[in-house]
Amino acid sequence: MKEKLIRILTEVCPGVDFAAETALIDDGILESLDIVAIVTELREAFDADIGVDDLLPENFNSADAMLALIERRQG
Amino acid sequence: MSLTSPGFLILLAAAAAVYYLAPKKLRWIVLLAAGLAFYCVGGGLAVLYVLFTALVVYVCGLALGRLNEKRRADGDRRLAARRWCVAAACLLNFGLLFFLKYWNFTAQLLSPLLGGRDLGVSGLLMPLGVSFFMFQSVGYVVDVYRDKVAPERNPLKLLLFVSFFPQMVQGPISRFGELAPQLLAERRFDADHVKYGLQQMMWGYMKKLIIADRAAVLVNTVMGDPWSHGGAVQALGVLFYCVQLYCDFSGGIDIAVGAARLFGIELAANFKRPLFSVSLADFWRRWHITLGAWMRDYVFYPISLSKPFARLGKAARRRFPGKLGKVIPTSLATFIVYLIIGVWHGANFRYIAFGFWNGAIITLSILLAPAFESWKSRLGVRETGPWRAFRMAHTAVIVFFGRYITRAPRLLTALWMVKELFVHPRFQELGAVGELGLGAGDLLIVAAGVLILVLVELFEEKRGDIRLWLEKRPPLIQWLAIALPLLAILCLGILRGSHISSDFIYKQF
Repeated sequence: MKEKLIRILTEVCPGVDFAAETALIDDGILESLDIVAIVTELREAFDADIGVDDLLPENFNSADAMLALIERRQG
Repeated sequence: MSLTSPGFLILLAAAAAVYYLAPKKLRWIVLLAAGLAFYCVGGGLAVLYVLFTALVVYVCGLALGRLNEKRRADGDRRLAARRWCVAAACLLNFGLLFFLKYWNFTAQLLSPLLGGRDLGVSGLLMPLGVSFFMFQSVGYVVDVYRDKVAPERNPLKLLLFVSFFPQMVQGPISRFGELAPQLLAERRFDADHVKYGLQQMMWGYMKKLIIADRAAVLVNTVMGDPWSHGGAVQALGVLFYCVQLYCDFSGGIDIAVGAARLFGIELAANFKRPLFSVSLADFWRRWHITLGAWMRDYVFYPISLSKPFARLGKAARRRFPGKLGKVIPTSLATFIVYLIIGVWHGANFRYIAFGFWNGAIITLSILLAPAFESWKSRLGVRETGPWRAFRMAHTAVIVFFGRYITRAPRLLTALWMVKELFVHPRFQELGAVGELGLGAGDLLIVAAGVLILVLVELFEEKRGDIRLWLEKRPPLIQWLAIALPLLAILCLGILRGSHISSDFIYKQF
């Protein structure tokens, strides 16, 4: 699942090392447009009900955090 | 009450003295009393609007808190009830804001449809900084709705959040989760806070009183009668307006941030050296940051991730496979946000056009980004210094032309002025620049002020906050960073009164 996530993230934001970065929001690597694009893709690819309330830095700072969010919002 | 008035300084000094003399538990009450005094003196009965806003968000916040607790206890989502609370807060606040700021403009537009009947209301009491405290307050309700913060149960403490006086007139727009704990903290006196606060206030007063108020004289001369000047002088007027606006707004923010720092309170940053922006979107991330962040969190995200936009996204992907289909919904949401930012500035076609100008350029840049990237790679362009300088220059030009729209007396005049720049520039008129209200000495002071400002911002862009650099210098130098600007303000800003001190531009918003 993580590999699929990294693949999707890299497609949306090429050039970002999603496997290693742990402060994607705090360091300003991802911007609002990236976040919306990522959420749109994750909703579709993982059937995850991610909403505006989930748009917190701690949920998007790393691929692991996004993975945890997806798991919480699936089903 | 203006942040440059003696009344504000007296209130600030008195509030700071009483704040640190009062028992720690009661200090927040000193801030509340100072805020209400500030607003009563400056706006009279308009303080009632502040109380109304505070009451609305207090009640909505409490109701949301109860619904959130219930949801946590038994999993009851009660989404509709929670949404109604947010809707009520938005309707009451933005309804009042619409009535105060936009009703007369709307009535004017409706008049021809109503057979010339004027529904306008005269003599409306316009509260100071109405958009700022209402946006901040609605943000609090949404944050409670999203369960990011717990609702404030003490109405007076919430009123303090709504009415914290240094930031009331023109921001920055704070978040409850960041500001409220600081307002209520029981802290000891710290001389460093006072020193940093005074340093930042002096920097702000220098920008406002020495540069902005001088530049305003030339701007008012040119824009008061643009028809008497050629395109080049009009462009000079717009250029001075860019200087005036930045020094006025960021200077006011520096004063507000510095004043808050006297109480040990750190307000959110509102500017990050916009001169160094490499795109219009980057400019809006560096200019009026707290408004941009507010729009992002409370308008852009909810629109972009709404069900209608999700459906639009799916349809766009089917119709336009590839990158274009993916960015269409976000581009539309971006356009809407910038249109709102334009209208936020005031009820006027110029501001609608200003929103359209920014929204259209940023939306186009999103849609065309893949093409730009492809051209860049084909031409072998790299993100080096010259390319960055080119991007900064082209952003400055876009911002510059946007300022024509907001400062010209009318929208059509703005378009005519841009045409004049290219068709009838009359460059020879620039030789008589000394006849535009500012003498050679004042022009030199503006130029020197801008040069110092650019150098300081260049330093900060490369090496970070200059205050951190100052901190490592001997105490004498640190205090000189307060005394020298104060001397400059006294000599060039107050005593050399060849210019008219003007009110803050953003105060009207």
